[in-house]
Amino acid sequence: MRESKVMFLQYMTGLLILVFGSFHVLLISFLAPTPDKILYQYANIAGGHTLIGGTLFYSTVKAVYSNLLWGSFFELLLTFLIYHIFNGFRIILSEQFPGSKSEKVITYSMLIIGLIIYIYGSRTIVLMLTGGGL
Amino acid sequence: MDVALKGFGEVVKTVTLRVRRYDPEKESLPTYMEYKVPVQKGMTVLDGILYVKEHIDPSLSARYSCRMGICGSCGMIIDGKERLACQTQILELKKDLIKVDPMGNYKIVKDLVPDLSKLFRNHEAVKPYIVREEEKPTAEYLQTPEQREKYGMFTDCILCGACLSACPTSAADELYLGPQALAQAFRYISDSRDTGFYERLNVLDSKHGVWRCHFSGACSEVCPKGVDPALGIQLLKEVLTKNIFVKYKQVPSPVGPERKSVVETS
Repeated sequence: MRESKVMFLQYMTGLLILVFGSFHVLLISFLAPTPDKILYQYANIAGGHTLIGGTLFYSTVKAVYSNLLWGSFFELLLTFLIYHIFNGFRIILSEQFPGSKSEKVITYSMLIIGLIIYIYGSRTIVLMLTGGGL
Repeated sequence: MDVALKGFGEVVKTVTLRVRRYDPEKESLPTYMEYKVPVQKGMTVLDGILYVKEHIDPSLSARYSCRMGICGSCGMIIDGKERLACQTQILELKKDLIKVDPMGNYKIVKDLVPDLSKLFRNHEAVKPYIVREEEKPTAEYLQTPEQREKYGMFTDCILCGACLSACPTSAADELYLGPQALAQAFRYISDSRDTGFYERLNVLDSKHGVWRCHFSGACSEVCPKGVDPALGIQLLKEVLTKNIFVKYKQVPSPVGPERKSVVETS
């Protein structure tokens, strides 16, 4: 692929990460459907503070995100992130170690590592959708 | 005793030139030598270096030619910044100790003389001339003042190599085309008489072409002729992005010993 196409995607994914990432952070912080809008709810159990609920409580977050729309949203965000991060690494490393052989090694290494993380991330998203979790 | 140079005013003060000395054929590491130079009004750093050569140490090497900021031969790092030695007044630096280094990102021939072959090779790679499809022009190619304005600033480049010396990407990536070549590529691509855009794409759109500029702007900061190579590179990115889906006939890019990767990837 021509480098201009690769870089066009790099800039586009950068912008999309900003949009999707902001949406993700803002939504869970301000719009999550807990009645009192409390981020973390603690209770005095056995003389100590224990987290029992709130907008950012694990099961609340999981309940919000466990639908196909959010799953697709995260899958897209994951795709953008993987491309942007590993293409970025490829660029940095290619500048540090220029040369056709080293660049081939760098490109394929980034492709394989990126693919492994992408599969692991997708697996997590699917688990979340099907009721499992981390 | 200080010797006053002819053609200049009175000796105003004495400055120390701290010059980097290095002969790669004889020494493994560079060293710095200090020379005391009597400064007269109007003396440039190049005059100071020539004073050292004539009166203190004839073994000091520097490259120069026109002495009037036109030929671009005397580029060096003076007081931490790439400048033309013939255009830099010693008194204007307002320093008693002036550090003089050869330009960076080049191999050193000796002392203050850099090997500019990389600069010229990269320059050649972008075809820095008007490319026309017609073989025999039948008349003058006309151009309006507005059409010339598009690339006017970039014609001021004197190939001194200061921009490539200051470029942080060139410092890391030996194969990067560099700001001089890329700005010249924009100069010819934006010329209404030129039809060689697709011929240059092989090199410009390569892994070490226009996209490796991270816009630090150091090139524009140091250009002694006021050219803005960083702007040229950004405009070039715009042109390439507009042609992102255009298919073109690939033409082999010029071969050079330091451009192997670019040829292989194109």
